Amino acid sequence: MRAAGLLPALILAACHAAPAGRAAGPDAQAELVIGTEGLYPPWNITRPDGSLAGFEPDYLRVLCARLHRRCRMVAMDWDGMIGALHTGKIDLIADAVQITPERAGVLAFSRPYALTSGVIATLRGGPLAGLADRDVTMDFDRPGPALDAMTDHLRRDLTGKVIGVELSGAFDTFLNQAFGSAVTLRYYRTMGERDLDLLNGRIDATLEDESYLHPLLATRDGAGLVLAGPRMIGGSMGRGEALAFRPGDTALRAQFDQAIGATLADGTVRRLGLQWFRMDASPHAAAPASAGSGAAR
Amino acid sequence: MITDDPAPMLLLGFGPDGWGPALLRGAGLTMALALTAMAIGMVLGAGLAAAGASRVRWLRAAAAVYGLVFRGVPELLVVLLLYFGTPGLLAAGAALLGLADPGSPPAFLTGSIAIGLVSAAYQAEVFRGGMLAVPRGQIEAAIAAGMSPATRFRRVIAPQVLHRVLPPLGNIWQFTLKDSALVAVTGLSELMRVSLVAAGSTRQPFAFFAAAMVLYLVLTSASSALFRLAEARGMRWAGGTGGV
Amino acid sequence: MSGDLAFLADTTLAIARAVPVTVGLFAASAVGATLLGGLLVMAQTRRGTRECARLWIFVFRGTPLLLQIFMVYYGLAALGPIRHGPLWAAFREPLFCAFVAMTCCCSAYIAEVCRAALAAIPAGQIEAALASGMGRWTRLRLIVLPQLVRLALPAYGNELVMMIKSTALASTITVMDVTGVAGQVIAHSYRTLDVFCLAAAVYLGLTGALTAALRYVERRLNPVEGTR
Repeated sequence: MRAAGLLPALILAACHAAPAGRAAGPDAQAELVIGTEGLYPPWNITRPDGSLAGFEPDYLRVLCARLHRRCRMVAMDWDGMIGALHTGKIDLIADAVQITPERAGVLAFSRPYALTSGVIATLRGGPLAGLADRDVTMDFDRPGPALDAMTDHLRRDLTGKVIGVELSGAFDTFLNQAFGSAVTLRYYRTMGERDLDLLNGRIDATLEDESYLHPLLATRDGAGLVLAGPRMIGGSMGRGEALAFRPGDTALRAQFDQAIGATLADGTVRRLGLQWFRMDASPHAAAPASAGSGAAR
Repeated sequence: MITDDPAPMLLLGFGPDGWGPALLRGAGLTMALALTAMAIGMVLGAGLAAAGASRVRWLRAAAAVYGLVFRGVPELLVVLLLYFGTPGLLAAGAALLGLADPGSPPAFLTGSIAIGLVSAAYQAEVFRGGMLAVPRGQIEAAIAAGMSPATRFRRVIAPQVLHRVLPPLGNIWQFTLKDSALVAVTGLSELMRVSLVAAGSTRQPFAFFAAAMVLYLVLTSASSALFRLAEARGMRWAGGTGGV
Repeated sequence: MSGDLAFLADTTLAIARAVPVTVGLFAASAVGATLLGGLLVMAQTRRGTRECARLWIFVFRGTPLLLQIFMVYYGLAALGPIRHGPLWAAFREPLFCAFVAMTCCCSAYIAEVCRAALAAIPAGQIEAALASGMGRWTRLRLIVLPQLVRLALPAYGNELVMMIKSTALASTITVMDVTGVAGQVIAHSYRTLDVFCLAAAVYLGLTGALTAALRYVERRLNPVEGTR
């Protein structure tokens, strides 16, 4: 009877226990496992031979060398990454994670190493291709009548449209909050799937980070797409991309904060940004929030 | 970055931009995943069949509940549950035994266990059928005829059990092989996952899914040919004609 | 604790609202697969169409349904005649693509089930029917079909249970079925395990109900065995 009682108890524990993860933080000698998607160019890309490339693999190599830690990057879908972090499968996330209020409860962020903004992409010649205010940045951290008017205008333009977003990305939360039921959201597990549907016209538009869209638009397939409407930053889209840790791992996070600070100061982030994004995406390079570039996922 | 897009044939090939080697490696991983899952399912399935035939009532009930759950819940959910659930389960188990938290197992292990758990539920049915394949009277007759236990197994039990068990096991193997594609959702680079990543990053979905389909067809038809061979050989080895 | 209860109540409600999608997809594909499966069985009795039917069965039974779903949804959309043809209005919809993939895949399995059942009908009965001068349709109606239904039902029922479980794969192409909604709830709550357990319970209920219904039908069709 004891054995019969144990199994249900274990199953119950597995189903109910809040993801506990490793009791103690990773010790200083152990290899650090870094989660990334490998499907979010140019931040992180999976090469045909299975290796990871992109801004973050390069940048994390610099950070780990600086901290004298052995690091290994593993690819997994974004929708499982936070769970993987909490269950100890990975020690930190480097996946262009946006510092958003919604995630503050489950993730502890390092200081940001990039600051980019979101923008709408749609088919060239489609109904949304002519969205106005292409050169304006809407900052949702600075509410006011001007922002409200622009939001209302955008809501009118987007009403009834189908917008594709990555499941549990920051844009998903933002679109829900800003436009509610006016737009229909469609969720994708990976960016590649969403892009295929955007190019096929199964969805009317997507809201995505500029740093992702610019290289996409430069490809032959991407030539069928245009950016439309204002750039967006702040609010539930957050402000800046950072590494994400388990909330308890304060020591590890402090080490990385210091290393990020040093690489921002010595120009490493700027150099890697120019190499991968063809622009300097470092936070201090961006102009003040109201006019600058902005947010992402 | 892919800035200009090569033709599909180049992308499927073995050149620097070609996904050919990645697809083949994926097929290899799919095979390893399915074999591991099948082995896990065989051990567990045999145990379940024994439990189902047991005289202990709660063992029988446990085997029945197991079959009900793992034949009634989508395989995709089992894979997701195992992937996210095992670390918590291991932590809870270790805490009960007073051990340190073992951390989390790799995706290959949780994936093969998840597919193996489902496979076991179906294999248990097959083994139960196999246990019924030899009527009691035949064993008694063999003993009466003075056959040694080895001869009895070779000439009476094995031919009939194999004849009964091998075809459905071949069927389950096919399901297990195809179910292994679900492990793609955990990010393990088996065949399904590689084709999805390649389709997304090259924007050539038709070419890559077609290539993956061909590779799966090679795996499934090659293994079903092997099973047919095993059936024929098994009968001959056992000295029976296979007709029961 | 009350927050937990409220969360579970909200999640249960959200998942319950997705049950019609899961059940609808299952019902539509079950009907489609049965009709197409019957067509495949008939095609196998004729020279010429036989090879096509065998190839269809070989391809759809030999590859994972997940891959077939991706092929129908993303792969076919890359083909000009589909993307720019009159069928695009239907293939544009993820639910329709899931229905097509499931119908094609399950028809292959159902065709095999029917073929095995047909082979189990004693040849003597057909010969006797021929000898007594029965026409093709009378033979089908009075001799073949009643036995086919009874012989094929257990295996056919298994296929239906498999189909309910397979509908979960539609969530991978943006269909908001039970699994899709569960995934969406998890995306915002980060509570993987209890939500998946809840979804698993829903599927267990659906497959359990279908199994019970099938057993009832089987008993009705086999009154002698049923009362034994």
